[in-house]
Amino acid sequence: MSQALKQKSLVQSNPLFELGKERLELIGKHADALMQGYLQGQISELAFSQQTLQKLLDSRVLFYPDEQSLSLRPIVNELIASLTQDERKRQINSDVGEHLDQIHTRVQSLQGARQKGDYVASEHHMQLLTERVQDMTGQFGDAIESIWHRLNTEFGFVSSLDDKILEIELAQRQLRRILDGFGIINFDDLIQLAGSDGALRKLLVSQLQARISEHSGSLLEVQKRLVLLMARFRQQQGRALLINRMSAFLRQHPNFQIGDYPNRSQVPAVVNQARGINAQAFIALDRSQDSDALAELARAVPRQLEQNSQSETQTEGFTLAVQNLVATEQKQLAKDVEDFFIQVIESPQALSGVDYLAKKELPWEPEMWLFQIVAEHQGLPQQNKQCFILEKDSAQQSRFNQLHIIKDVTVSVRFADDYQATG
Amino acid sequence: MIEHGPLLERLLEGEFICTVTDEHSFHKLQNNELVDDLNHFLRPLNRRVAKNDDGSVYFLAYCDLTQNARMHLGQQFTSTVQSLLPMLEWMQLVQEALGRDGALSAGDTIKLQDFESKVVDNQSLIQRLAHLANDKVFKSSSDKPDMQIKQVFKRIKELGYLHQPHKDRLFYTVTGKVEQLIELVRFIKDEEGLLIDDEAPEQEAMF
Repeated sequence: MSQALKQKSLVQSNPLFELGKERLELIGKHADALMQGYLQGQISELAFSQQTLQKLLDSRVLFYPDEQSLSLRPIVNELIASLTQDERKRQINSDVGEHLDQIHTRVQSLQGARQKGDYVASEHHMQLLTERVQDMTGQFGDAIESIWHRLNTEFGFVSSLDDKILEIELAQRQLRRILDGFGIINFDDLIQLAGSDGALRKLLVSQLQARISEHSGSLLEVQKRLVLLMARFRQQQGRALLINRMSAFLRQHPNFQIGDYPNRSQVPAVVNQARGINAQAFIALDRSQDSDALAELARAVPRQLEQNSQSETQTEGFTLAVQNLVATEQKQLAKDVEDFFIQVIESPQALSGVDYLAKKELPWEPEMWLFQIVAEHQGLPQQNKQCFILEKDSAQQSRFNQLHIIKDVTVSVRFADDYQATG
Repeated sequence: MIEHGPLLERLLEGEFICTVTDEHSFHKLQNNELVDDLNHFLRPLNRRVAKNDDGSVYFLAYCDLTQNARMHLGQQFTSTVQSLLPMLEWMQLVQEALGRDGALSAGDTIKLQDFESKVVDNQSLIQRLAHLANDKVFKSSSDKPDMQIKQVFKRIKELGYLHQPHKDRLFYTVTGKVEQLIELVRFIKDEEGLLIDDEAPEQEAMF
């Protein structure tokens, strides 16, 4: 406990501590403006006061890539990308050679300090060495995680299929570089470097080996997924292309004749689709065991509805039939009346409508018959009308009103002399 | 065999069975023994269970290519070929309107409302829709985009390329029959030796 406290105060006494803290706080204080700069690619100077701007520049957070534009330093960009898993900007750095060189140097310094018996210095070198190794494996881990993350979102940060395929190709190159990096790490070298030092051996050989084999395992998984995804994207792309090109071709060649595949000796499978068969069945009364079920069905038939709909159609037919019937009867009646008038012309004396009806045994109601005669007479042209004398034999029905009932009509031809007499 | 009656009937009626139209039956048909049994039954009807290349859809094909069978295949092929261009144009239209990555494939869902709102936002899509709806395959007489869309989707559903899970909701799923259509397109391209792989105009791809 006291040792931890001591270490803490030791750390805090380091001049870097205060400076680093101040700079991290500076970033936090201007997080809004900095994030805007991250997303837009550049920052407006007007977002800060002159003093703050200078501070940010001095702290190596911002810089002027050229005279006009102000932007985030690449390392800050990378920090944000890594913290937010922003795969558009996240960089994969798999430069292993540099790390290995530094590890070599660090081990030599460590061994030098040990030989001198400088405990503090060797302790310091050991710490730096551990960090360096962790940096290297962490970098692999980060890179793999980044690729993995991009795979799992199916490269959702780019919209088009073509871009996705390019991204996969990029990821494959990155993967290859990581594998190359693994190849550079020569464990025989490292074993020799660690020599008989147990702590170094553990750090440089056993731990590193474990981490690398772990990473190799995940890389293999990533590789499998990459291949799968690539196959799928390629298939999708091929399909979209096929559709686009075939439709373009058909538009350009409207009279294109496709071969008569159904009549080739070898009909291709893709064309062979059988016609649909509709299996129908009907009520059959030839099996006694079905009769109960059928009777049940018959009872379940919504009778009322059925009758209604049937009577409706019947009524429809009926009214139509009646109309037809009436029309033909009307014609017959008119024809009979016409015959009556012809008879009048031929006969020397006046004819009674009712008598004629009885004599000819016509089926009409007397009332209807008389009405038709009067109507026919009224309907004649004026000149022809005057050729006939129509007398109505009517009687007043009651003394209280003017209702006259026509009992009969007698019609006679008006001869020339009569005509003159009346005329 | 009795329990497979309904499945048999649907196949006989000319339905395409895929995971979208009937997942349960689709899985049943993946059993080769059952398919053998069904084929035995179908033999007198000159039918057999067939599937497309990647096994994503099942349907009935003729066993023997008799005169009648060929006659029917000929009619069917002609009508498929006639509807080929409109179908491809429809697929392109949906893909572009909805901003999809790849071409439509079985299992993709299309909400009519989404599609409509995207189309009416874009004059060129409206024109393409109108052109498509006027085609004799779709026969829409309306000049309103919403009616045209309804008619086009209704027709495609009748042709079996779309499945509507809920009758009263305008929400469709692409069926496995589309895969069969794409296979036919690929077949025609290969068989007719259409050199559309390289010399196709680039602007078409952008279009």
